[in-house]
Amino acid sequence: MLRLDVQIAARNLAAHTRRNLFLGGALAAVTALLVLLGALTAGMEAAMTQSATTLMTGHVNVGGFFKITSTSTAPLVSGYPKVLEEVRRRVPEIDYVTLRGRGYAKAVSESTSMDLVLAGVDVAHEPAFRRVLHLSEGRLEDLAQPGTILLFEGQAERLKVKVNDVLTLSAPTDRGVNNTADVRVVAIAHNVGLLSAFSAFIQGETLRQLYGLNTSTTGAIHLFLKDPARAPAVASRLRTALAEAGWRVMEPDPQPYWMKLMQTVPSEDWTGQKLDVTTADDEMGQFKQFIFALRVVTLLLVVILMAVVVIGILNTLAIAVRERTREIGTLRAIGMQRSKVRWLILLETALLALAGTAAGAVAAAAVAAGLNGIGIRIPESMQIFLSQERLTFLLQPGVIASYVLFLSTVTVLASWFPARRAARLRPVTAMHHVG
Amino acid sequence: MRLAIAVLAAAAVLVPAAAAALTAPELAKVVREIDARQRNQGDWKALCYMEQKEKGKTDVVYELLVFRRDADDKQMFLFTKPKSEAGKGYLRIEKNLWLYDPATGRWERRTERERIGGTNTRRGDLDESRLVEEYDARWEADEKLGVYEVHRILLTAKPGVDVAFPVVRIWVDRATLNVLKRQELALSGRLMRTVYQPRWRRIFSESKKADVWYPEEIRIYDEIEKQNSTIILVKEIDLRSLDANLFTKAWLESRSR
Repeated sequence: MLRLDVQIAARNLAAHTRRNLFLGGALAAVTALLVLLGALTAGMEAAMTQSATTLMTGHVNVGGFFKITSTSTAPLVSGYPKVLEEVRRRVPEIDYVTLRGRGYAKAVSESTSMDLVLAGVDVAHEPAFRRVLHLSEGRLEDLAQPGTILLFEGQAERLKVKVNDVLTLSAPTDRGVNNTADVRVVAIAHNVGLLSAFSAFIQGETLRQLYGLNTSTTGAIHLFLKDPARAPAVASRLRTALAEAGWRVMEPDPQPYWMKLMQTVPSEDWTGQKLDVTTADDEMGQFKQFIFALRVVTLLLVVILMAVVVIGILNTLAIAVRERTREIGTLRAIGMQRSKVRWLILLETALLALAGTAAGAVAAAAVAAGLNGIGIRIPESMQIFLSQERLTFLLQPGVIASYVLFLSTVTVLASWFPARRAARLRPVTAMHHVG
Repeated sequence: MRLAIAVLAAAAVLVPAAAAALTAPELAKVVREIDARQRNQGDWKALCYMEQKEKGKTDVVYELLVFRRDADDKQMFLFTKPKSEAGKGYLRIEKNLWLYDPATGRWERRTERERIGGTNTRRGDLDESRLVEEYDARWEADEKLGVYEVHRILLTAKPGVDVAFPVVRIWVDRATLNVLKRQELALSGRLMRTVYQPRWRRIFSESKKADVWYPEEIRIYDEIEKQNSTIILVKEIDLRSLDANLFTKAWLESRSR
């Protein structure tokens, strides 16, 4: 029976090719736009997450702050070997662990200067580093040498330096004394969005010397989990476990460590060491906010487009019902029930919506794949916001299918009123209708 | 065949004459001698003037006292003029260079690349020569620099030695072994500074029992910011022993109280 209904609905659609092509085209265009915007946002988020979880944060981080006086703050974990031992004992989900020095400094070249957030790395023990960073100059291995730094292209351009030029880093130690270190640029990496605007990597031991730290002090312990989705649960468990083991642990606060370093922690009235357990999402708060804002804009756009589409559907179907009044009257006169008339019109709309949205999704996927293949380079000023060097759309079949279903459902719901109106027509009135 | 032999014979005669390379021992002797001529072995005090020319800024002349105790590699600069800089100073002890700012009363540790007083001067410009200790030398050419016959020598910093510039090219007067010109480069090969030392003077040192040579005038040209330059004049050399407690943070701090 359903098959027969579908055949009738399909024939009715085919009988009004021009009108249905117009409506289907509009649906396809909206779907394509939604898919492309969604894929772009997803591409940005994926690129951001991938680069951030390698360059800036682990899935879970055990960092902290050391305050000699209540007004001074240094991003340090003192006596980290014991902390790490406890962490390993309490988190069996760990895939691997890296240690990161944390700091900020003024980088002075021969002609200019800029502020940098520094991460001290031991490049030999950073397995994912190489996958995320693509060098335009120099060698990543050289970052293992003392007194070396890796910059991003934008920073190198701003500081007017190239590989083997020297920078002076000037930074305040936790004792309030300004110290300096000369570092040689050994590698320049392609920009990776917002991160590369202010983050640079120096050899771990050099960072230690710059801040006058001993060997049992680090900036943060980055934990990479076998299943990154477990990060919030692991972070929560670690907070409790570390507190039970005697460390002072900060309350959860979803902000990157440098925001806490600059804003909240210096104004808190305590001294000594406190540990701060964060997840990648916490450390990427700013980026997440940006993505959220982008999603809100996308949603607004979709709502406006959907309103236009719904008005269009109502109008087009109202015209269609009017044009087909005599036909509907005849069907009713030969015994078709009202519910059947309504069902047929809804079925027609559903078929049209599915065909239109599916065509739009396929077209958008093809365009996105094509643009991915071409690899359009994004202007540097935009790279910061898009977190990508080349325009990348992330096509997720599940998400695309949900867009198709959502738009089809909205379309079918919008056709409910014209369908009901058609079903309510009296056969005699309908057959006398001159359209 | 005859032609080929003639060419080879001519080359054999001409090549040694053209190259006239310093042998390794000769080069080592030249570099050692450059250091030895400037070494004092005792204390050193000098009044220096630094004139800084910077693009878009008014020229500034700094007056400073330079103290050295070469035996244990200590050094101190005390700015006396202009008034805004008076009391500011640098102290080098145990290979660490400290900057003291009397305005804040704070000490900051600086590196060998520090621009002394914000000029193009580096600490090493006001120190004795330590080429043997800091660099490996390679003879490049013998040539003329103006009217002077010079050796051109390329110096590369020894591993682990902290110097302001890792590669330095010097032009050494063959007759006197005074360094007349210096080009300082980054490892990338970028030229950073060119330094001319046109006037050399000597003073008898009791502690050395011989003459100590020093450049009386040093002209430094910034090769990155092309319009910036610094001229240093070294005056009123005094080689008498300095106070034992002079090379201390306390002494430098007391100058601005």
